[in-house]
Amino acid sequence: MTVELLSNYYYYLKEKKAEGKKIIAHMAHDNIPEELIDAAGFVPLNMIFAGNDELMNSSHDYLPPSTCSFAQSCIGLFSEKPNNFDFLELIDYFMVSNHCVSDICASEIITKYFSIPRLNFYISYTLSENALEYYKLELHDLKQQLEKIKGSEIKEENLNESIKRYNNFKKKLLEVNNLEIKGKTKLEIFQKAMLYGPDFLPELDTIIQNSQPQRSNNLKELILTGCSIFINDYLIDLIEESGGNIVFFDTWIGDNYFSQIFDDAILNSKENPYNLLLYRYRNNVGGDHMVPEYLENKVTKLEKIIQNYRKKTGKPLGVINHIIKFCDHISINSAFLKEKLQEKKIPILNLERDYSRANRGQLSTRIEAFIEMM
Amino acid sequence: MSVFADDVVTFTSMLKMAYNLLVGNSYLKRKKFREKKKLIAVALPFSDLAYACGAISVFPVRMQIFEINKYLLALGSFSSIFGWKSITNVLGFLKKLEFKSINKTIDDIIDDVIDTINKKYNQMYDLGVESGIPTDFCYGIKSLYGMYVAKGKNVEANLNFTIRCSAWNKYLESLKTIKNPAKNIWIDVPPRNIGNSLEILTNNFSKAINELEDITGITCTDNRLREHFTLRNQICQHYKTIIHEIGASDFYPSNPATFAEILALLTISFHDYNSNVKRYAENMSSLVNEMKERIRKGIGMECSKMPRILITPIFGGWEPKSHEIIYELGGRSLYADWELLGFLENINVSNNSNPIEEYARFIMNISSNKMGCDNDTLTDSYLNLAKKLNVDGLIFFQLFGCHSISNCYKLLRDKLRREEIPSTALTFNKIGENVEQVKTRLGAFMEMFK
Repeated sequence: MTVELLSNYYYYLKEKKAEGKKIIAHMAHDNIPEELIDAAGFVPLNMIFAGNDELMNSSHDYLPPSTCSFAQSCIGLFSEKPNNFDFLELIDYFMVSNHCVSDICASEIITKYFSIPRLNFYISYTLSENALEYYKLELHDLKQQLEKIKGSEIKEENLNESIKRYNNFKKKLLEVNNLEIKGKTKLEIFQKAMLYGPDFLPELDTIIQNSQPQRSNNLKELILTGCSIFINDYLIDLIEESGGNIVFFDTWIGDNYFSQIFDDAILNSKENPYNLLLYRYRNNVGGDHMVPEYLENKVTKLEKIIQNYRKKTGKPLGVINHIIKFCDHISINSAFLKEKLQEKKIPILNLERDYSRANRGQLSTRIEAFIEMM
Repeated sequence: MSVFADDVVTFTSMLKMAYNLLVGNSYLKRKKFREKKKLIAVALPFSDLAYACGAISVFPVRMQIFEINKYLLALGSFSSIFGWKSITNVLGFLKKLEFKSINKTIDDIIDDVIDTINKKYNQMYDLGVESGIPTDFCYGIKSLYGMYVAKGKNVEANLNFTIRCSAWNKYLESLKTIKNPAKNIWIDVPPRNIGNSLEILTNNFSKAINELEDITGITCTDNRLREHFTLRNQICQHYKTIIHEIGASDFYPSNPATFAEILALLTISFHDYNSNVKRYAENMSSLVNEMKERIRKGIGMECSKMPRILITPIFGGWEPKSHEIIYELGGRSLYADWELLGFLENINVSNNSNPIEEYARFIMNISSNKMGCDNDTLTDSYLNLAKKLNVDGLIFFQLFGCHSISNCYKLLRDKLRREEIPSTALTFNKIGENVEQVKTRLGAFMEMFK
């Protein structure tokens, strides 16, 4: 699937470029206002490709090995220029942002050493009123950066239109999230959707219409939280081979992305579209960038998902907390998260790993043991 | 190490600072229980607001009980009766008698100060790891976590500044997961200086001040702020003199290894000014005077032939034997992290200024122009200081698990190469863990200057 996906994506971006659109890549997770990029007439490219050790290891000329494997892989994509990733050549700008410090470092290295012009978009670490004020400044600054490239103003009606487009798109992904299909299938849909954005809507409609429930009675049902599973990663296969099925992706590629929607009342209540983006920022309490309430919010959210699921299906859910090695955000509080969930009798596995294939056997054993214990 | 001791005997202020650093536990107990002062925990030199609000800042490791060399302890007791100045005279006199045991004792004192601090750091590191902090994180964060586990309950609040390092920010959040957590006062520092971010930061400081006032019951007036900033400005001025005037000169008031030791001690104690700004300012002033006096008298060491090496960063952990090794290899070391990151800059205290806004400007300068929200800015800070100090080489400590500063080495190396400043990176995990490797690497590096 991956080869075909990436190959088609290349042609998609090429078409966009032919239409005069600029491609703007970023690796900053759920904090980037894609709608603003879209409203400028450009294409946001989510850097969601990681999962193999060659990419990870080929970044060591630039970063020490004790760097998050995702950030390393992003650099590896540019230094290795692997087959199937030709579309990276089409990137016009790379956004440097501070989702985490490895994000800053990797993005900066990509712009500097691979000669891709840079855009900046930084956000505060808290969700206070002042942080909101600061977010407004950054939005304004990004708007100006984009307008400079575009050569004209980004009109509010265009931004409104983009916000609506993305909102409908994310609502549709929520529907996909509720489909009774295997975790791997669901993940592939999410990954593809995050590449194509709202242009993927018609395909999403078809998927939903044609979807047949995939029973997975023998598999243990799980939530994946923590770090995302990126395109090219074998982890989802490993989980399914080990007898698990992810029914809920509480990650950037998953709920953290498509749960950031506006209901119609909010959508129509704000005269200024920038206020909608602010509203969303304020409500992104589950984003792992944030302090100081991230932990409590995470525990509450997971508990709620599990309760709802039990109410709906009568089944329990286990949690796999996916920790990419050296991830600042997910790693540091993993012991605390485990303790809190275990107090609530929720089974949880802190699964720490990098993308090394040599670890596959060990990971498999751990997942199998966890599933058996469930 | 006799040569170190010889120097230090005449640096009373250094003995005093070392003593103050190590006896923090009893000092802070007295302040907290007898004088009913409020203790506020800080890490990195972010202690100013707490002082201005009438609290006492404490870098958590100082709440530990250190195994202080019994002679240093005796000197401390002696000083409380006769004053520190008399100690120099006594030590100098004893040293002149050249009793072997006395010389040994003095050597031990100096060795012990640094060793004691380092041992404690390592203990805290182990405690941090035992208490659940993943081993992925840097030495600094693991040790700090251990410090909070051990003694965090004794403080009223933690003063938490968000910075560019996401591990740091998340570590601050994790403090509340430790048993009996103190209140957390957050200061969200805007990542960039755009638009009215200075105003936003000023407002964030005002809110933090309100929270501190609630704890201390003392109103933080503009005058209080100015008074404190004036004192810390004096400290910084002295610190700068030591780095730029004395450190960059070719005649040191001491053996260069001792000089580096003093700089290392300053790096540690500057976090919280040893919990007493006035005393710290006086010690800094004495230290500079003592240094200048020695230079004036021609006491010290001519070191124009010794390559000047900037060792950085050290505040998050480094191998403390480095300067000694470099000295043995014919070089001299400089530690200047706080200068590099902008913490020694002046805060405007003029009467017509708003002191909170001035402090915001000071922090914003660190955040935007020195530490930077990206590595281009940060590496420029390293480069600029290296050029300003006219160093012959730079040694960069690359901490295992540091994803913020350690990751900038490639960029820094490229910039240093363009300026023809040799550099090398030393990996570091824990104090004392790979001294032999450090020796080998430094040996190879120092060969370049022969």
